[in-house]
Amino acid sequence: MESQLALMDQSFNSRYSSLVREALDDLPDSFTITDPCISGHPIVFASREFLKISHYSKDEVIGRNARMFQGPETNRKSVMEIREAIREERTIQLSLLNYRKDGTPFWMLFHLSPVFSMEDGRVIHFVAVQLPIARKSKGFTSGFGRNDCNFGEAGSRLPEIVFGSCRKEVCMDSVKQSVPLWTRGSFQNLDNRGLEVEESCEASALEKQKAATSINNILSVLTHYSELAGKLVCGKSCNLSGTNSLGSSLIVSLGRIKQSFVLTDPQSPDMPIVYANDAFLKLTGYARHEVLGKNCRFLNGPDTDAKVICQIRESIQTEQACTVCILNYRKDESSFWNHLHISPVRNASGKIAFYVGVQIEEGCKNGWGRGLRPEMRQLGVVGAVKVAVRSLSMGAGPSKS
Amino acid sequence: MFTVKQFEEDSCMLKYDAASEHSQCPWMPLQGTKIPLYWLGSQSALDNGACGRLSCTPTEEQSLLDSLFLAQWEDCAWKGFLRYDVTACELKVIDGRRKFVGQLNEGWNLNNFLKQNPFTFQCMKKHRELLLFAIASVEITNPEIIHSATVPDDASLVVVNANPVEYGHVFLVPHGLNSLSQLMDARALEMVTRVAVEINNCSFRVFYDYSSANHPYFQACYFANPLPVELMPVVTIHGRQKLEGLHIYEVKDYPVKAFLFIGNGNLKMLIEVVAQICSWLQDQKVPYSLLISDCGTKMYLFPQADRKQHLFVDREGNCGPLISLTWPKLNH
Repeated sequence: MESQLALMDQSFNSRYSSLVREALDDLPDSFTITDPCISGHPIVFASREFLKISHYSKDEVIGRNARMFQGPETNRKSVMEIREAIREERTIQLSLLNYRKDGTPFWMLFHLSPVFSMEDGRVIHFVAVQLPIARKSKGFTSGFGRNDCNFGEAGSRLPEIVFGSCRKEVCMDSVKQSVPLWTRGSFQNLDNRGLEVEESCEASALEKQKAATSINNILSVLTHYSELAGKLVCGKSCNLSGTNSLGSSLIVSLGRIKQSFVLTDPQSPDMPIVYANDAFLKLTGYARHEVLGKNCRFLNGPDTDAKVICQIRESIQTEQACTVCILNYRKDESSFWNHLHISPVRNASGKIAFYVGVQIEEGCKNGWGRGLRPEMRQLGVVGAVKVAVRSLSMGAGPSKS
Repeated sequence: MFTVKQFEEDSCMLKYDAASEHSQCPWMPLQGTKIPLYWLGSQSALDNGACGRLSCTPTEEQSLLDSLFLAQWEDCAWKGFLRYDVTACELKVIDGRRKFVGQLNEGWNLNNFLKQNPFTFQCMKKHRELLLFAIASVEITNPEIIHSATVPDDASLVVVNANPVEYGHVFLVPHGLNSLSQLMDARALEMVTRVAVEINNCSFRVFYDYSSANHPYFQACYFANPLPVELMPVVTIHGRQKLEGLHIYEVKDYPVKAFLFIGNGNLKMLIEVVAQICSWLQDQKVPYSLLISDCGTKMYLFPQADRKQHLFVDREGNCGPLISLTWPKLNH
């Protein structure tokens, strides 16, 4: 796992200078920073206060996705709203139930904000602030979720532990606070209503303001240190030049695909690469910043057949998919035969948003052991990309085209 | 034609003329056809793997069945066997609270759909290319793909829908062609649920529509965004004190009546109960629709409103036959 941690560190240190960690550690707030460009959208930084309230250690948190703090009673709709906010690259503030390491739940005001790179307008990180709040509502949560441990007798009910003043309203038959509570209580009999709409915990206006201030402080620190690193970031989406930048949620979906592929943007001049996954970089020997923004022709070389290049160009012009076998060159100038499949990929507006190019190195046996022929695996990548790109942002209103 | 993407309603595409030849024509096995065969290993048993997840938390990599499914569909599309490119159809969110999605689909044509019944012998013979692959249950540890195999008699079939409503739109025929109709039973439901679990992709959903006028069958497709009904708040109807068990909710604030069933670590029970309810509805000739989402762990049931059914849950005993034709008002 060391390489995983190193990857996290590197993602962070390269965007801001390495001094940023100290500055972030000085902040009193509980927050995490996640990187949507890394597969799995992992946490790359957790503040000391966050580790304190969640009872996790840094190593247990870095590299993991934030869903690890969710549990049985976490409101599913809230989780989906957060996902949508990530997909749409906007801020969101809501109350959320999270779980500490020992399984005890706590309510907090969750405030998420994207960090945009000013170079290309992409979201490079998300900052999430967690402000613990006392539960004031009188209702009970009968959230839906799963239970994964058999605890207690079948008949006993173990309501969730709640903060503060609501405690006395909860039926406390036999509950001790130290009991790990991965159970769900059914509160249907606690009052005669029997049916409850799931309720959440409302934060006060003061708490909401506090969360917003925390976010601003964190963003200031990040902005300042990004300037030092020469790669300015900002808290608002700065790139409105109409280029086809990839949303974070799309990047997360694409991260599931382990075969080498790239996405190119046909609407930008010279059809540059806008996404290249790790497998592609490994295959070709280039670093990501060396390929993003460039046309794929850098892979061609002295012995590359011009007719094949023509064939590719024609397919793209006629908006057709094609499969070719082309001689390509790595960064170290060694060559390989590339069974390349290129296909147009449309977004929710129905128009072509990208071209996907899936590469298979001839003679390479990696990953084929799972039973799918290389050509089929290639098409599987195309299908997965098409499904992901076709997703639309669910903001109300007309599509952007 | 403009279709509103609400699969749970009586989607008109699922109606066709019952006088078509399907019910008279006996099924003949697909002799000589060779297609990829996916061996669903015994590890995909429903009690492990699928439980213990709050939401669909797919592993970091695409599953093998997911890859195969998408690959075969894309191959079919590329070869031009589909009537149109569904990804070229524009999607728009309809203004409103529930964010329904409309699709502008000029290629879709009701007549085309009426003529094509995938389960007639003639249709299958003529359109063998629409048969994407088959899935068979085998006692092996890890799943495997046989690239070209004759179709075992009771294998489940995946047949592409040449008039797709979304990417990956197929008909799922659990347990093959032996049964003329695809009336819901526990065995069929279990098979399609296993497929959903195995695909392990939150974008993949299975649909079933039963109406006395229609020939019912399972369909599936991929759609990356949550469907509107999945975002609606719910009211608990039945949540047992036991940790494992079935939880039943009623979906609030939705234009048609909808119920949500979650297995909470026990998909077998979920399947049994839902299948039982559906069988009962079928016996009563009550039309309904079913939506299986979240990698097979959630099932939405939409009994048709015109019969004004309520789901009444017996809280004391097991989740047995749960439907009553009387009108118990759910106590609030």
